[in-house]
Amino acid sequence: MEPSKITRRDFIGGVAGAGALATLGIKEAGAQAEPAGTIPADAIKAEKSKAMQWHSERPLTGSVPAHEHDFDVTPTDRMFVRNNLLIPDIDFKTHRVKITGLVGNELEFSMDELYKAFSAVTIQGMLECAGSGRSAYAPRASGTPWLETGGMGCPSWGGVRLADVLKAAGLKPGAAHVAGQGGDPGMVASAAPVIRSIPMRKAMDDDTLIAWAMNGQPLPRVHGYPLRLVVPGWVGSASTKWLHTITVLDAPFKGTYMSSSYVTPRVPVEPGQKMPAETVSTEGWPVKSMITSPAPNARLKAGTQATVRGRAWVGEGEVERVEVSLDEGKSWQRAQLWRSESGKYAWRRFTYDFTPARAGYTTLVARAWDSAGNVQPAIPAWNPLGYFWNGWHRVGVVVEA
Amino acid sequence: MRLSVFLLFGIFTTGGFAQDHLIPGPGSTLTENKCRICHELQHIQRSPLSRGEWADNLKNMKERGTPMTEAEMAVILDYLAVYYNRDKPAPAPSPDTLAGGGDPMQRLLEANGCTGCHAPDRKVVGPAFREIAAKYAGDASAAARLAQKIRQGGQGAWGNVPMPPNPGLSDPDLQSVVSWLLKK
Repeated sequence: MEPSKITRRDFIGGVAGAGALATLGIKEAGAQAEPAGTIPADAIKAEKSKAMQWHSERPLTGSVPAHEHDFDVTPTDRMFVRNNLLIPDIDFKTHRVKITGLVGNELEFSMDELYKAFSAVTIQGMLECAGSGRSAYAPRASGTPWLETGGMGCPSWGGVRLADVLKAAGLKPGAAHVAGQGGDPGMVASAAPVIRSIPMRKAMDDDTLIAWAMNGQPLPRVHGYPLRLVVPGWVGSASTKWLHTITVLDAPFKGTYMSSSYVTPRVPVEPGQKMPAETVSTEGWPVKSMITSPAPNARLKAGTQATVRGRAWVGEGEVERVEVSLDEGKSWQRAQLWRSESGKYAWRRFTYDFTPARAGYTTLVARAWDSAGNVQPAIPAWNPLGYFWNGWHRVGVVVEA
Repeated sequence: MRLSVFLLFGIFTTGGFAQDHLIPGPGSTLTENKCRICHELQHIQRSPLSRGEWADNLKNMKERGTPMTEAEMAVILDYLAVYYNRDKPAPAPSPDTLAGGGDPMQRLLEANGCTGCHAPDRKVVGPAFREIAAKYAGDASAAARLAQKIRQGGQGAWGNVPMPPNPGLSDPDLQSVVSWLLKK
């Protein structure tokens, strides 16, 4: 179904599905010992693709490897999962979102009211966890051991523009940052709420959404049902799930998820060192690409044409070109880069046709360049929290005679 | 009987939490109990860090809301920097000597993270031990209900603040805590 054609009936469908899941949640709560009002990990895992590789049950984190990402639009059941806290069981009918802070009029909407008050838009946009690729760093940094190519996806998102809602509320002078807060609870009451803020220029971007739909269906619970921010191209933590409050601020939000997490050293540090005092907040992803076909250890035939296919993206700006090397980076050939019609923050497909000449083990390496002249490095700068891995992606295949 | 069957079932279905342990050593019990309130211990086991990174990590976890005192953080940092150090191999497992000393009941409560949220006479995050005892006074089913509460965690009896489950607490220790509580 076309995401732009999401109907009120889909919303009701979402509510019915949620009810079934809630029942399952109660049944499993005894074994899982998750607090009341949260969805157990097993119920979420059952909804996702068998290709998902789970890194942790609590908090629930998982993704599919690169060769399971060979789609122009990431299917919902292959979208990565990463939470800081637990997954709340929220009632669509009573859920409300409030716009407060440096605004002329404080606003509050039910789901129905939000749907009626603004024009609905659909975009395709990348979301990628800041730590995606972390396990490729040496030495290993603290945090979820995402695969070199794990922790990202590019589905379509439906909702309203955050800019439209902010304009309706009216920004007061000095409004500079917008913070999202969601309803995910922790295991203890003392758990700090996950609050992140984004600068106004990104909040006002046409592709930054308050979203209720993913790939034309109501958001799945684990992806923020019933409402979330979508801040495409930026680290995933900016895209607050289970959104209930939007606060306009005169400066970046001050809190642990802004100051102690999701930061990188202002000046690169020696690998293995602790975070220096001077840090910068993580925002857009640097240019990145991955080979989605062939799969590692695929069998190719000497003298027969084969295609390297993959996806390339960058947090801000445009992917300018993608290159493929069949000799470990000694020489690079330009791949064909396909245009995406569905959003400036959507990943783009690339393909490179070649005919392997000799039998034996061969590596395929890809790297992308962006419109600002940045290129993926072989190995990016180490940082204490292992963020922004965008090293060359390398896939080994076997060429048979 | 029904209760013990239920408890056993609970222990065996907690996704490996019960058998999940860090290398035994001074501070290992406290470290296990604080860290697994919110996440699995594999987060520690799979990425040994430098002492400085562990210090940052603990500060971060405290900011995120882990109920632990400065003194407890110091014990945990010393433990992690020795047993999960990126640059030095871990020493051989040894008894957790820091789990001993002082009042054994106090030790048990601290080692299991109870004292992060409960105090004898005043409400902290959760109710005072005395308030709990008073609530269950004269109730014949109190022991069984309390044991289940402690084992499974709960929410609602004292407000909306959830109490985390304690799958790692042994059955004898659980019984000790319950009888101690009811005698307060």
